[in-house]
Amino acid sequence: MSTKTSTIERNGHSAKTSTLREICARAITKSEWEDKEEFLDVIYWSRQVFGIFLGVIWGIVPLKGFLGLVLFAGISCGIVYLYAINFQNVDEDAYGGVWELIKEGFMTSFAGFLVTWIIFYTGLHYDAIMAAKGS
Amino acid sequence: MWSDTILIVFISVCTAFLGEGLTWVMVYRTEKYQKLKTEVEKQSKKLERRKEIHGDSLDKAVKKKIERDEEKLKNNNRDLSLVKMKTMFATGFAFTALLSMFNSIFDGRVVAQLPFTPISWIQGLSHRNLSGDDYTDCSFIFLYILCTMSIRQNIQKLLGFAPSRAASKQGVGLFGPAPGQFK
Repeated sequence: MSTKTSTIERNGHSAKTSTLREICARAITKSEWEDKEEFLDVIYWSRQVFGIFLGVIWGIVPLKGFLGLVLFAGISCGIVYLYAINFQNVDEDAYGGVWELIKEGFMTSFAGFLVTWIIFYTGLHYDAIMAAKGS
Repeated sequence: MWSDTILIVFISVCTAFLGEGLTWVMVYRTEKYQKLKTEVEKQSKKLERRKEIHGDSLDKAVKKKIERDEEKLKNNNRDLSLVKMKTMFATGFAFTALLSMFNSIFDGRVVAQLPFTPISWIQGLSHRNLSGDDYTDCSFIFLYILCTMSIRQNIQKLLGFAPSRAASKQGVGLFGPAPGQFK
């Protein structure tokens, strides 16, 4: 899979295509983001991966209850905020406010987080759960 | 307990690809849909830019122009939705039948243990067709819906079938844009 963003340079009439590798390289360093959609895509996809990663960790520990949900929401939004505003230093007004950045991809990553959390929690701790219910 | 959960994820992936595949064959690849989609994307971006520049302006001419653009966008959104609607009904019917089949296969079966107790109005879904009152027991339908919410959206985005953010913001749909767009 490759994500392509085309920008036509006026001078040379040549198309500049950002490949997935270039976007990843720009995402991990402080960069200029001329294409807002590209930056929002970076936030979206990193959030999906991060949601699944947190779900796996929460399932392994295991973290339970409402605390797990709240922690996920807090960490997910906090990291996006710090990444966008502090690390990449983007102008939040250009994206329609900080809320537009924070909510980008949240619900989908939350669903992915819940699925992985449930699967890993059930798969790794099933015997202990059943024993606790039996007693 | 891995087998049930992995199976449900697999079912969700398959149904998501099947759904998007069918929709691509019947809707996305048609010239009419592509033309309408391009038009909606263009108009959404134009309208968004206009609102950004002139959003607070009290000039009647500017307001009228924005209202005209919104009306044009609303009409194109409606046409786009109508193009999709017939196919959506057909695929929706087919997938409802598929879902009923899986529901009966997993009827009364606890497929997973939830690491949290869902709030009361979700318990009806998470504990559907399960006996007892232990609400950390998870039913097929709840896990399937969560999988679909995550997987289908990502597949649509990966394949480029999801509407652009500008189009989503302007309220793409059969019933027109959301009210109160113009401040």
